[in-house]
Amino acid sequence: MTATKPQTAEPAVALQGLLAEFDSPGALLAAATQVRDAGFTGWDTHTPFPVHGIDHAMDIRRTRLPWLVFGLGVAGCLTGLLMQWWMNAASPANFPGVPTFLQGFDYLISGKPIFSLPANIPVIFELTVLAAALATVIGMLAANNLPWHYNALFAVPRFRRVTNDRFFLCIDARDPQFDAAETGALLKQLGATAIERVETSARPGGLPRGVIIAIVVFATLALFPPLIVARARLSKSAQPRIALVQDMDNQERFRTQQANLAFADGRAMRPQIPGTLARGDLHSDPHLYQGKTDGEWALTFPPQLEITRAFVQRGQQRFAIFCASCHGLGGAGDGMVHQRALQRDTPGWVQPTSLHDQLVRSRAAGHLFNTITNGIRSMPPYGDQIPPADRWAILAYVRALELSQDARLEDVPPERRDELR
Amino acid sequence: MCRPSDATSCGRNVNARSINIEVESRPLTDAAPRLARIAGVLGLVGVVGAALFGFLAGWDVFFRSYLLNYAYVLSLALGGLFFVLLQHVVRAGWSVSIRRVAELVAAALPPLTLLFLPLLIPVVAGMPGVYEWTDRELVQADPLLKSKSAYLNVPFFIIRCAAYFGIWSLLAWFCLWQSTEQDETGAAKHTQRLERLSAPGLLLLAVTITFFAIDALMSLNPHWYSTIWGVYYFSGSVVGFLALFVLLLAFLQRAGRLTHAVTSEHYHDLGKLAFGFVVFWAYIAFSQYLLIWYANIPEEIVWYRPRQGDTWWIAISLLLLFGHFVAPLLALMSRGAKRRSGFLVAAAVWLLAMHWLDLYYVVAPRPWQSGHASSGGPLHATDLLLLLGLGGLFVAIVVWPMGRRALLAKRDPRLPEALAHENV
Repeated sequence: MTATKPQTAEPAVALQGLLAEFDSPGALLAAATQVRDAGFTGWDTHTPFPVHGIDHAMDIRRTRLPWLVFGLGVAGCLTGLLMQWWMNAASPANFPGVPTFLQGFDYLISGKPIFSLPANIPVIFELTVLAAALATVIGMLAANNLPWHYNALFAVPRFRRVTNDRFFLCIDARDPQFDAAETGALLKQLGATAIERVETSARPGGLPRGVIIAIVVFATLALFPPLIVARARLSKSAQPRIALVQDMDNQERFRTQQANLAFADGRAMRPQIPGTLARGDLHSDPHLYQGKTDGEWALTFPPQLEITRAFVQRGQQRFAIFCASCHGLGGAGDGMVHQRALQRDTPGWVQPTSLHDQLVRSRAAGHLFNTITNGIRSMPPYGDQIPPADRWAILAYVRALELSQDARLEDVPPERRDELR
Repeated sequence: MCRPSDATSCGRNVNARSINIEVESRPLTDAAPRLARIAGVLGLVGVVGAALFGFLAGWDVFFRSYLLNYAYVLSLALGGLFFVLLQHVVRAGWSVSIRRVAELVAAALPPLTLLFLPLLIPVVAGMPGVYEWTDRELVQADPLLKSKSAYLNVPFFIIRCAAYFGIWSLLAWFCLWQSTEQDETGAAKHTQRLERLSAPGLLLLAVTITFFAIDALMSLNPHWYSTIWGVYYFSGSVVGFLALFVLLLAFLQRAGRLTHAVTSEHYHDLGKLAFGFVVFWAYIAFSQYLLIWYANIPEEIVWYRPRQGDTWWIAISLLLLFGHFVAPLLALMSRGAKRRSGFLVAAAVWLLAMHWLDLYYVVAPRPWQSGHASSGGPLHATDLLLLLGLGGLFVAIVVWPMGRRALLAKRDPRLPEALAHENV
């Protein structure tokens, strides 16, 4: 606790204050109460541990630190809230003057609303705690004029026991009521076990020279890495970038059309051995693999695929995985990708085709199979991702979907027609 | 309570001997039995009234209300046991002068075991309107319930409950017994015994509270699970207990006991603990909510679905958010509020009400799309009648011994520390 603090350096021989030693917290409390009542202002106490009631005995006014902590806690809370709103929920279109690198991006996460309070609360909480905790520590240090790297009392040998089992009270010589003889007598009368004269200057000339030099040198050195990084970011170079681990830069590999002396013909590309096929490349059945019979689009499903409930359900599942994101779960061309594109006003966006279009409905099965396999317009090919049987299963499900939107009474089994009424 | 500047009467720098401990701690022979009788009569009226309603409106409504209010009074006693064990495990000095009151609250656990027995009726008789998993046919038809039935079956439920109540009753009884023995002997060995017991005791308490919360409250929605559930019940319990504690101390001080042994310093510390546990409760409740809200998968959101499904439950949810967290957070934040007797008592009443609302929010909504769908409105007359009933009986159980026992651990070796206790 710092009731006062010496202000200026003075000659080393002058009396700086009187230090009284006590052997129990109770004795110190009683003495502090007396010193307070005697009207002293420039004095302090030093104890090995916090002594309950010392603030009262020394008449230290209540700290205002809680207000600082509360204020910064609220500020941290609002910062967390506003930051997340700005980064994710404030649409850049509404703030045209703001430079791009300061703008947020309304990125949709897990299908939650763009500004979604539950998701923001952990960050708000952390920032509140962080700001309040930093305010507590830094505010406490500032309010106590800490850190204070030197104290004149360290020069008194007896004072070493302050961290162990002795309790001290020090009255500063600059206190208006201070009088070496009278104050000494008062302390003696208060039950001090020993009284020491503090004669060392309270504040030598600041930090030692060596420490200052070290700080300057390290601060200067610390500037170099950011300068190097800044230079690298702002300048262009023809040299390849420096990779610390070069494994990925220098790999043994051969590109198409390159020479490779390991082979007799000197070519890196190996020709296919006559009369062979890669595994899984034998697509001998045009109906199953290309959707064609006799060179025309097949009108039926390949005979080796049995159209069962399980087969259609497999198709439904694959449809939900690969197709529904654009075409929608009902096939109306209203999937999440489309919704999102509308929400973001994507320029030049074309709605995915509705599978209930008359054109799609009238296409031959093989033709639609081909569309899934090779894609069409902006729809990418799915032949590489979905095995042929699954593509046919998707098609079976698409046919079922189409039927669901265009069914006649005759399509319903006779025994269940009553349910429609 | 007294003002901090009032040095002579506040325990501040006061020699412990200047407080007359015998006067401070003597049993409340007149006021306590009177209050206990009134509370007991009101309690019986409440229970009988609720039983009449149950007879008319259906017994599953009655038993769900009973479960709600039983979980409420039980949580207060469990909070008391937690508090007592906590003081011993950290060898607390400040709380010695108030610990006896907490011991008496915890000592309600053995009698509360008897009040638990009615809850076994719907379990043994198989009332699916209370616990869905007691319906054998439903369990057989439901693969999830069937696979849980190795744990969630009637005999094992009863065995587990016997273990919980046995452990709690023993712990509570032992704490009170050793403490009152010390009133006679003044020996330090009782304190040492309690300190040795407290660490394993807290461990047992943590495990039993967790599993009790799972068995009695989480199994109302047997398809659903939450790993933080036990902590949720526990955190609310401690908030409720601390509120009750403040009220009991204020009651005793008004009746002329503990007037100098308990000071605003003790209330201040109880206020700090209540503040901390209010935040802890919110932290736990939100942790559970956030994960389920974010993942948004059907088997988890079933619990929140009925609680955010209609206006009534949305209103209750918001009332909990603001009443059980935001308002107490701000109200209990400042030092002055925690040291002002009237304000702290008002906050305690409010927190007790909020803790009840928290359990109402847990117990009352019907499971979403359960096989035994809803019956009646959101708030039943039995909910309130049994609050009066079980609440009254609980108060009677807690207050009655205050007329016969010393209200202070008067020969505890750390008592001087508690009497001189002071917050910096």
